[in-house]
Amino acid sequence: MTDSVDEIRKEVRDWLAEHWDAETGKGRSAGSVRDWLDHVIAAGWAAPSWPAAYWGRGLGKEETSAVINEFRKVGAPGAGQDRGNIPANSIMQFGSEALKRRMIPEFLRGAQVCLLYSEPGAGSDLAAVQTRADRKGDVYVVTGQKVWTSGAHKADYGLLLARTDWDAPKHDGLSFFIIPIRQAGIEIRPINQITGDSHFNEVFLDNAEVAADNRVGEEGQGWKVMQTALAVERLIMGEGAGERRQGSMKDNVVSLIDIARETRKIGDPVLRQEIAQAMAYRQLNALNIIRSKQEMAQGSSSPIMSLGKLAMSRILHGDAAVMTKLLGAASMLDADANPRAADVNYRTANAFMTSIGGGTDQIQRNIISERVLGLPRETEADRTIPFRESRAVKG
Amino acid sequence: MTMIEAEELGAIRAGFARLLSEKCSEAEVRRVMATESGHDPSLWKAIAEMGITALLVPEEHGGIGAGPVEMESVMEEAGAALLAGPLISSAVLATGLLSASSDADVKERILPAIASGETIASVALTGDEGLWTPEGVEVTAARQGNGWSLNGIASFVLSANVADLLLVVARTSEGVGCFEVAPGVKGVQLQPLETWDRTLRFSRIAFNGAEGRAIGGIDEQVVEHALDLARVALAGEQAGASRRIFDITIDYLKTRVQFGRPIGGFQALKHMAADLLIEVESATSAARAAAQALASNAPDKDVLINLAAFACADAFGQVAATAIQMHGGIAFTWEHPAHLYLRRARADAQLFGQSDMYRERYVAAMEKAA
Repeated sequence: MTDSVDEIRKEVRDWLAEHWDAETGKGRSAGSVRDWLDHVIAAGWAAPSWPAAYWGRGLGKEETSAVINEFRKVGAPGAGQDRGNIPANSIMQFGSEALKRRMIPEFLRGAQVCLLYSEPGAGSDLAAVQTRADRKGDVYVVTGQKVWTSGAHKADYGLLLARTDWDAPKHDGLSFFIIPIRQAGIEIRPINQITGDSHFNEVFLDNAEVAADNRVGEEGQGWKVMQTALAVERLIMGEGAGERRQGSMKDNVVSLIDIARETRKIGDPVLRQEIAQAMAYRQLNALNIIRSKQEMAQGSSSPIMSLGKLAMSRILHGDAAVMTKLLGAASMLDADANPRAADVNYRTANAFMTSIGGGTDQIQRNIISERVLGLPRETEADRTIPFRESRAVKG
Repeated sequence: MTMIEAEELGAIRAGFARLLSEKCSEAEVRRVMATESGHDPSLWKAIAEMGITALLVPEEHGGIGAGPVEMESVMEEAGAALLAGPLISSAVLATGLLSASSDADVKERILPAIASGETIASVALTGDEGLWTPEGVEVTAARQGNGWSLNGIASFVLSANVADLLLVVARTSEGVGCFEVAPGVKGVQLQPLETWDRTLRFSRIAFNGAEGRAIGGIDEQVVEHALDLARVALAGEQAGASRRIFDITIDYLKTRVQFGRPIGGFQALKHMAADLLIEVESATSAARAAAQALASNAPDKDVLINLAAFACADAFGQVAATAIQMHGGIAFTWEHPAHLYLRRARADAQLFGQSDMYRERYVAAMEKAA
């Protein structure tokens, strides 16, 4: 096992030494990023765990990690997409042979996607989507409205969850598509957030078209395909967010104490208690993440990862509340009148992105209590009836 | 102190857990807490035979020479079982003080007996205010002939009612020191106190010219180090106890039926459970991180010990209280175990220092780092 890991590590290292120029951060053949990615794909590094017939090398988990690590060390992109490329993984797992051949290389080469999942009427209850995809010959015609789509403007494709069967129960009537985003029937409108940012969009689909061949999985399998895509996304977020959280701990510790010093409240014993508690929540979450990684490395499963998002929303709201107390009346100001207040005001509003986005705190608590603690599932009044009979449709 | 192998630690902990499940069941805890001493000598003997009392004693004095990591780990089991008796008092606090002393004679004479469980030692280190700080020491010691004479009050002396030996922290003209006192000598008046958690026993001790023998090399810093060791052990106890009462509660939510379904299906309770899980996991992480930091004398040792001290105390308090609420009426009965955990949680939150003090120390340690 270790031998083969060492062998692969050496092979990757040699390959990178030959082809990658770490100083310029480019491939030695000096082509475009796309050329570089083509190179990586041809060498089998883009998806090392996949079979050789599918751009891979059939490597095990440890060997794949070794490949990813070697690429990471020199800052070269494109390796290990079998772990993190959401569309490529979805197609690999559920797509037809033709779809795999046609689209996976495109995604391995960096085609961008946005997520067309949530709708105004399907937030926490995502399976209630009402965007319709009607089969007309070789295409599906898509009409509906999606929300909370980030990156829509720079996306090539949308991962679309749409209803193809209105007589099936809500989870069973959905299908999953990869729809070209730049077409006449799709309009993107930015959402103005409470922070003043516009990271997200509404996406209106009005008789937009997607080739029937771009359906991932069978008709009615859409919910399952999306769950798999979400699992890949959570894996990325869990790892990335974990690192960011640990990394940001120190910054934030400094800033709470710094703000207290700035506002000359560092000596206030009541505020010191609140500062301690806010910092503690953050540090405890970091310790939880470290421990869960250790436990997973030792092969035992850990429930802690699923707690991270809920813990983080308490942390972010808590930090903002303590910072507001430290600022006092100045927290009423904004922008140039008080840049520090502007930052704290932003944090106050932006904390809701974590406590609502990607599943509200309340949904998270349901998930934790059901999946980790094994408590009974929420009852769903419309889980088993034909979707067209549900209140989502009938009102 | 050396750390033992993870596998060996796992085996010790599993063996201890088995022993506790056999000999420290809820029924046994209730039996022992109703006795006059609150101590079960036969269980103590079994614990000692297993080496738990020898964990922190250095190998050259007949111990195992393990450290905070190992002690924290077994304390999670002790806490889960609500073990009564002098484990923290003798095997952690007294052992920590003596191991760090420079007094070869005392170490040679006492530590092997503590390790084997034959001697139970108790540490007197705070007065009626229960501060567990140097300022809180109310006993004074003055030289008298070849020995020392002790005067003043020590209170909240853990397990002193069953101690064969008292280690008394006292003020002297040269600073804080520690003195070995036999409980039965003239001038020592030991008054067992009634406690709300009957699994914990405290005594108030009045010293009136009691004869003490100075133990070399114990100053404020050594006392603080021994207290840190006790705080880490206590954090382990709190983490383990939190997890056990939490598990008991989750099991109940799955079986108790109202309105035609298990009450664990109600969001009001599911959400409480999810929030408590964060507390339980955080307490475990904090206790173990503090143990690691103390064992390796890490630069962020003070940060992590103080964090564990208040995070574990607060978590246990919240979990134990919420557990009663989640159970409803059944947990308002004496026969249900939930109140035993609340009693321990409330006592543990005072022992060796309080959360507000630890939070203050935590900020101060963070300020230093910032």
